[in-house]
Amino acid sequence: MRLEMGHIYIKDIQFGPESKIEDGVLYVSEEAVKAVALEEEKIKSVSLDIARPGESVRITPVKDVIEPRVKVEGRGGIFPGVISKTDTVGEGKTYALKGMAVVTAGKIVGFQEGIIDMTGPGAEYTPFSKTQNLVMVCEPEEGIEPHDYEKAVRLAGFRVAVYIGELARDLTPDETKVYETCTIKEGIEKYPDLPRVAYVQMLQSQGLLHDTYVYGVDAKRIVPTILSPTEIMDGAIVSGNCVSACDKNPTYVHLNNPVVHDLFEQHGKTLNFVCQIITNENVYLADKLRSSDWTAKLCKMLDLDGVIVSQEGFGNPDTDLILNCKKIEAEGVKTVIITDEYAGRDGKSQSLADADPAADAVITGGNANQVIILPKLDKVIGTLDYVTKIAGASEETLREDGSLEVELQVITGATNETGFNKLSAR
Amino acid sequence: MSKGNYIVITNNPLVFEKLKDGHEVIYREISYEEILKDVRDRIHDGHRLLTHPLSGSVKPNETPYKSILITKGKEKMDDWSVQIIESAIQACRKFEFKSDKYGAGVYKDFQMIDWTLLESGLASADLW
Repeated sequence: MRLEMGHIYIKDIQFGPESKIEDGVLYVSEEAVKAVALEEEKIKSVSLDIARPGESVRITPVKDVIEPRVKVEGRGGIFPGVISKTDTVGEGKTYALKGMAVVTAGKIVGFQEGIIDMTGPGAEYTPFSKTQNLVMVCEPEEGIEPHDYEKAVRLAGFRVAVYIGELARDLTPDETKVYETCTIKEGIEKYPDLPRVAYVQMLQSQGLLHDTYVYGVDAKRIVPTILSPTEIMDGAIVSGNCVSACDKNPTYVHLNNPVVHDLFEQHGKTLNFVCQIITNENVYLADKLRSSDWTAKLCKMLDLDGVIVSQEGFGNPDTDLILNCKKIEAEGVKTVIITDEYAGRDGKSQSLADADPAADAVITGGNANQVIILPKLDKVIGTLDYVTKIAGASEETLREDGSLEVELQVITGATNETGFNKLSAR
Repeated sequence: MSKGNYIVITNNPLVFEKLKDGHEVIYREISYEEILKDVRDRIHDGHRLLTHPLSGSVKPNETPYKSILITKGKEKMDDWSVQIIESAIQACRKFEFKSDKYGAGVYKDFQMIDWTLLESGLASADLW
């Protein structure tokens, strides 16, 4: 599959009478965007705001972060099976609006997650402090069930991202990158001496606010399968989770998965990037055994030499991570696993809830229990009402001077397990 | 696994309410960690773990609620179940205890999330 990605850089977002992109500035008609969001019947009202890098702004509770894209050539459309009709994506030409994001926020449950600070120490921990953010705060119809509200906010975000992406359809990209994968046979013929490497991505799949969708299918209900890694660039995988925001993959991360991009960088040079394998993280132990069996079987059938495995979340998925690692290694395929740590506030506790000697190459996204003080910022988009209720926070979180004492786990993307974060030991 | 073949261990009143008719539910008003220890004791007694005790991203000691499925029947002690439950109990201690620090409305949401996590496990259990 060959996908040409055109990047269009957005340096500012402004409200205006008409939605358009001109000279790198996205102008947004509030009325038009609200109308798109309100196509979701369960949403009563939407308020829009803009948060720019460096501004004294805190966005919370963040539900999802989405990069607008448009499919200009090739099969299917963005977010297949969710917003566009189901069709295999990942080939042709796609444009992405770089440097900006659509951020959805809304109180779905009383311990809601996710902080993005646009300035100060908190901004150093989230990649989304560097993007121009169009923030949608969605209020639900009265009496709505949390399931329905979650779905409505999720879909409203995708609809708005697609609407904004469409504004770029006739533009000329500032930069173009080509991503090309081989068929199995082509790869063997073309790169006979390079190690065959795949990416095993574990998807969060446990229940409300803990779900992920693949071509619209709830990932709890999949068995492990293979994707061309270009498919994710058209939105084949989308997020339905936001609890413990530090190590969940917002849709933006799925679209821009750094493991995929880095493997493409090495494709044909140091390795042959064969494919992406997706698997799930169900709560039922027999499901874990089945999924890890299948993942290892696929690695064997594809004659892989090595895989990179990324986890999503903590605790329950630690078991899937170690099962995958052990079983894939037992098939003679080398593994590198990417995780994060819950090592306690002092960093001295056991980092994962499972372990095995086969896991001898481990990359960490950081310690989610690390405590950080977030100073009071001038403006809050969303509400601070729930900030004391999020994972890693408590009623004592909001201090007298207005600052917040929280663990890193509240910050969107802080310890991301695909490496899409800012923490480093370097 | 038919309903007759598993037991729900929970401290979540919502789970008890939803499942008490038609399922075998052991409802105990004890803490999250005590639920894990209760399950551990049953595992030592020969029950096998069916769902992961650390399901959900709301951490131990942050949510007060936990519901776990185990087999109804007893066999030889299952080593994997022991390993998972012991690691889960150990993990509890990493998190500051704040289950008692939330406003009243939040508890309902914690109950509801715990229910949806268990529900996804029940959906798989009922397939067997």
